[in-house]
Amino acid sequence: MGKEKKVLKMNRRTFLKLSALTGAAVGLHQITPPCSVLSAPRSQRRPKEVIEEKWVHTSCLCCSGRCALKVRVVNGKAVKITGNPFSLLSDGKVCPRSHIGLQILYDPERIGSPLKRRNREKGRGIDPQWSPISWDQAIKEMEDRLRSLREIHKSHQILILNGLNSKSTEDMIFRFAGAFGTPNIVSGDGLDGESEKSGNWMADGHYEFSAYDLDQTQYLLLFGADLLESGRPLSHLLRKWGRIRRERPNRAKIVMIHPRYSVTAAKSDDWIPISPGTEGALAMGMANVIIQEKLYDKAFVERWTAGFENYRKVVFQYPLEQVSRITTIPTDTIQRLAREFAVTKPAIAMRGKGVLYLPGGSYNSYAIHCLNGLVGSIDVPGGVLYQEKPNYKPLPSIVEDGITKKGRDRPPLHFGGTEKFPCARSVTNQVPESILEEIPYSTEMAIGFNSNFMMTAPSTKRWEEAMKEVPFYVHLSPFMNEMALYADLLLPTTTYLEEWGYDHSSHGAGFAEVRIKQPVVKPYGEAKSSIDTLLMLAKKLGGSIEKSFASLGDGQEGFVKLRTSSLMDWRDFLAKGVWVGPEYQYKKYDRIFNTPSKRFEFSSGNLEALFVKNGKRRDRQRDDRHRYDEVRFLGEKESYPLILHPYQPLMAFEHGSQNYPWAQEIYLPLHGIGWNTPVEINSETARRLGIREGDEVWVESPFSKIKARAKCSEGLQPEVIAIPSGQGHYAYGRWQKGIGVNPNELIGVDFDRISGQSSYFNTRVKVYKA
Amino acid sequence: MPKWAMVIDLDKCTGCQACIVACKEENNVPHGSPEEQRRRRDIYWNKVIAVTRGRYPRIRTELIPMPCMQCDDPPCVTVCPAKATYRREDGIVIQNYRRCIGCKYCMIACPYGARSFNFRKQDEKEYHRPDPPPDHRSREVWPFPVRIHGVVEKCTFCFHRIDRGIRESKKIGVEVVPACVEACPSCAMAFGDLDDLTSPVSNAFGSRTAFRLREELKTNPKVIYLPR
Repeated sequence: MGKEKKVLKMNRRTFLKLSALTGAAVGLHQITPPCSVLSAPRSQRRPKEVIEEKWVHTSCLCCSGRCALKVRVVNGKAVKITGNPFSLLSDGKVCPRSHIGLQILYDPERIGSPLKRRNREKGRGIDPQWSPISWDQAIKEMEDRLRSLREIHKSHQILILNGLNSKSTEDMIFRFAGAFGTPNIVSGDGLDGESEKSGNWMADGHYEFSAYDLDQTQYLLLFGADLLESGRPLSHLLRKWGRIRRERPNRAKIVMIHPRYSVTAAKSDDWIPISPGTEGALAMGMANVIIQEKLYDKAFVERWTAGFENYRKVVFQYPLEQVSRITTIPTDTIQRLAREFAVTKPAIAMRGKGVLYLPGGSYNSYAIHCLNGLVGSIDVPGGVLYQEKPNYKPLPSIVEDGITKKGRDRPPLHFGGTEKFPCARSVTNQVPESILEEIPYSTEMAIGFNSNFMMTAPSTKRWEEAMKEVPFYVHLSPFMNEMALYADLLLPTTTYLEEWGYDHSSHGAGFAEVRIKQPVVKPYGEAKSSIDTLLMLAKKLGGSIEKSFASLGDGQEGFVKLRTSSLMDWRDFLAKGVWVGPEYQYKKYDRIFNTPSKRFEFSSGNLEALFVKNGKRRDRQRDDRHRYDEVRFLGEKESYPLILHPYQPLMAFEHGSQNYPWAQEIYLPLHGIGWNTPVEINSETARRLGIREGDEVWVESPFSKIKARAKCSEGLQPEVIAIPSGQGHYAYGRWQKGIGVNPNELIGVDFDRISGQSSYFNTRVKVYKA
Repeated sequence: MPKWAMVIDLDKCTGCQACIVACKEENNVPHGSPEEQRRRRDIYWNKVIAVTRGRYPRIRTELIPMPCMQCDDPPCVTVCPAKATYRREDGIVIQNYRRCIGCKYCMIACPYGARSFNFRKQDEKEYHRPDPPPDHRSREVWPFPVRIHGVVEKCTFCFHRIDRGIRESKKIGVEVVPACVEACPSCAMAFGDLDDLTSPVSNAFGSRTAFRLREELKTNPKVIYLPR
């Protein structure tokens, strides 16, 4: 019957097509009532099926914001992802990445079973010759390796790489590293804003991200903070952006200071292009204006801060003209910004990647945070807050044997906390050098949990070299990403929509919030959650390791139940999906500052103590605790005249895969470009270099070069070349492999010495026609 | 009869494109590919466009979400030779795939570029959704679980949601809104009845600054923008 119908339809179609061509059908009635469609006879309708529909509360893991989700599951299939209305952080709204979670879950190229490498040779473009093995075999192989390393007291020689994982998985991984006896666990933190934390630590002693009370703020001064693209937690920022613009009588003003006209800049009231890397000087210049014009918050500064006199002397060395020369911002603009910022209350100065991912990131971060202190925006409504942490039920302490402690006390491969990086916790990008040069010791084995530093860390080639050198690498991931290509053993893990967990964000709005993760659908293939894998492994390894994992509940669900039992009733938690902590208390000045003076410090006592500890002699002429140095750009200015700005667009995922057509096709809304990486160049600079829109160009740094198409833009500082990151995958995926280029390949290695933050914006490049 | 309309507040909009993704998710709109984008054949029922003016450093870019404007005097309906596209009584302009002959006349007539032609072969399935969800399947007329290739398609103001909402006597504009409005994280979009004077839509429409795109063409669009 169906066929007959089709033929009929085609006839009618062809006929009408012809009549349209001859113009016979012009001038029909404008409004035609619906024809046969809705009056289809009842008998033709299909019988009703059994529909099993449910909404499951869980949480996202597309970035470290980890927002609360609600997923609609129909007959065992996830069909819709949306925000959990119980989450106060974003009022039940989520960013577009969360919606794309469906494509992460149903990515057709996920790993179905454990795979073992047959080809000993490793490298880009070399086929690993995978052969599937059983889980028992895989765990046995891992166990044998781990056990033999431990027996010869080499437990510290394994390296654990922790990519983007749920907090519950992270807790497990850290526990495993601790119980096994290795200090070498590296997270993505060292690539991801450590210098913001260290800047806070210098001022108020909190080595963590600031939270912001966006609901009540009146003025946002964004120093390179791309809130609407790579800010976190993104859904919170997006929601509050709408709120502070038109949902209350007084609209907040937002000013963006950045060399690139980003989406955030486009949506701000003001975009102020600045010479790259000079934001620290601008902050000092603004402080100078604020102090000279006596616009600072005298009550707060007198009562709750220390070192103000010293600070005043330092910032007086940054007169307007000089700052204007450094930053290329006109003096009256700087003056206007300073006055607006000081007079409009409450105001927040925010730091973003553009100022943090530099060799002097900590000092920039500190200088900008001092502005917040100067206008009294610390721990007040509409100001900078201190993120509260949820009180999970504490885990029993790790059972130790002789090897555990000895291994853990070895100096770590990443040199965090040593003289090289005095207050760093995790210096991710130091690891490849340590592996290659075997300093302080060789690496015998590595385990990667959903990590893809090979794409996201600066100077990606070093990671490739280093991973080649690791004798045995086990990679746990749902996807065959770039690092998986270097694995000897590849274990499929579940995505965040198929596993148990609990999660909270280190960024936030002050109050604590915990979200549950529960399996929305059955795991794909033989995929297992990382927690289950670790529990299995611990059991097999036996001894003190088994004991450390013995009383952690039964499996992943039990573990989550145990940990969250101190927060709320399990059934409630399952049903609501979110636990929200007590209301935020403002103005806790008497107990919030962890500094030697117990106040907000304009001259950092914490840093001073660190200098003393490391035996650094104080320069009497100059206060080393505040500095603005010209950025150490890598490459000669003569041969490499431009500065590379790799940036993360909103549609770039942070878990190491980009195989999602919904994201790929709308990758760069400002340029209307998808499925590609353009090289953005100021149109005047392009004209000078003889480059036209769409030309293929080489971008060459002292370290590497990449080829892409030029995109001439008016929204770019003339010295800067901007390239979006997130593309350039070469490992797997029909929708990502071979698409675009990865700007991280071009970047040279440098660090912020205080926090160990990798620099991203410190490389000079030249651009020429291909 | 209500008159459905949408407000998009460009001051609150963050250019995040959640509306686009939510639309694709809701209506099973096929995703594109590099080749399709190069040939401009990818299908969007809603798309954020960027309009830039000025020169460095004085530059201004507007990011504008562009669903179908659901015109009250829709040029696409005027030109359609097959009566495949028509205006419902509540003002929503609908495409009837079964009547569409794929002549693309409406695409040329539409001043907003809101219509797309489905060049896809029928056997290409969406991978994020191996089976269509039952509520899409149980109503055979709309939405089509399997896309029809060779016809023109466009935004429908998610009329399946509205119709169902009315059947279930829910408040349209409050409890039931189109997928893009529901997804908008900055709450920049609102949906409602223009004839209802208490709705945010009529409120915005009457405001001093509200504007619609290409008003000079007298198409009377029912997507209303608020400027920054």
